[in-house]
Amino acid sequence: MENKIDFEQLAHETRILTGFTNAHETLLIEAAPDIKPHLVNVTEAFYTILHTLPKAQAFLDGRLETLKKAHLNWLESLFTGPFDADFAQGMYHVGMVHVRVKLPVEFMQGAGTMILSELISVAKEVYQDDAQRQADIIRAINGVIGFSVTIMQESYQASSLAEELDKFLAITGMSRTLFNNLALAYEN
Amino acid sequence: MRSDLLTNVLSELNGASADIEASAVISTDGLMMAAQLPSGLDEDRVGAMGAAMLSLGDRTAQELSRGKLEQVLIKGDSGYVLMTHAGSEAVLSVLAKSEARLGLIFLDVKRAAESIAKLV
Repeated sequence: MENKIDFEQLAHETRILTGFTNAHETLLIEAAPDIKPHLVNVTEAFYTILHTLPKAQAFLDGRLETLKKAHLNWLESLFTGPFDADFAQGMYHVGMVHVRVKLPVEFMQGAGTMILSELISVAKEVYQDDAQRQADIIRAINGVIGFSVTIMQESYQASSLAEELDKFLAITGMSRTLFNNLALAYEN
Repeated sequence: MRSDLLTNVLSELNGASADIEASAVISTDGLMMAAQLPSGLDEDRVGAMGAAMLSLGDRTAQELSRGKLEQVLIKGDSGYVLMTHAGSEAVLSVLAKSEARLGLIFLDVKRAAESIAKLV
């Protein structure tokens, strides 16, 4: 499925949709030395909150350290860039993985909000003496989280539909080619 | 060519009985291979729908322990649609009138399907 997607186009359109600008990108990269040391705490806070959810246990058991490492890597990438086709493809892949492990979509959406909240707290602390800088960085963080989560959500939706379709095809014995031809015949 | 040969089989089939209104040979992927259809019918839709019905019919016969699928018969108040495999790669789909004598139709369709199976 990833093969058919124009990630350049996806990155471009999602940036417009989420208001994530080149200026935001520059700000995030500039803020990296200030923010990155705090990211491990963001990851810890995130997984501490997740641990309080009974539904989350199945996803955490036996793989918490691996997940934390991946999570931290992702957080660091938010302050590294570039936020281009490769970044979009990475986020798209994360969405697909979430579907594959059957993570409920509300987990992904809620997590985005949780992480945004934690990162805003970090920005407030780091730039407490520079209100303008603080506001600018928070806007940039908002943009990049929106950008990332929007792509993951799009991937999540497409992957979920693809999984349902695969189930339908397996049940009915229809080939994917036949399904595509049927869909094409009824396109108009 | 092969398409002409298939069309000949369909012309013979249509001519074999006044109760047969139209026929088509469709690939198992739903693409039209040859057709003798009345105007007003979308060939792409007829092709894809026919193959889909047969695919579903195969699965249903299997699930309900009816053995290997021989044919799918749809009865509407304006007539019948009969679909059957024509070899492993093709489907023969026939439209018949509501007053058609099905026994004869089944025989004609079976013979046409065997001819088509040799061509595809």
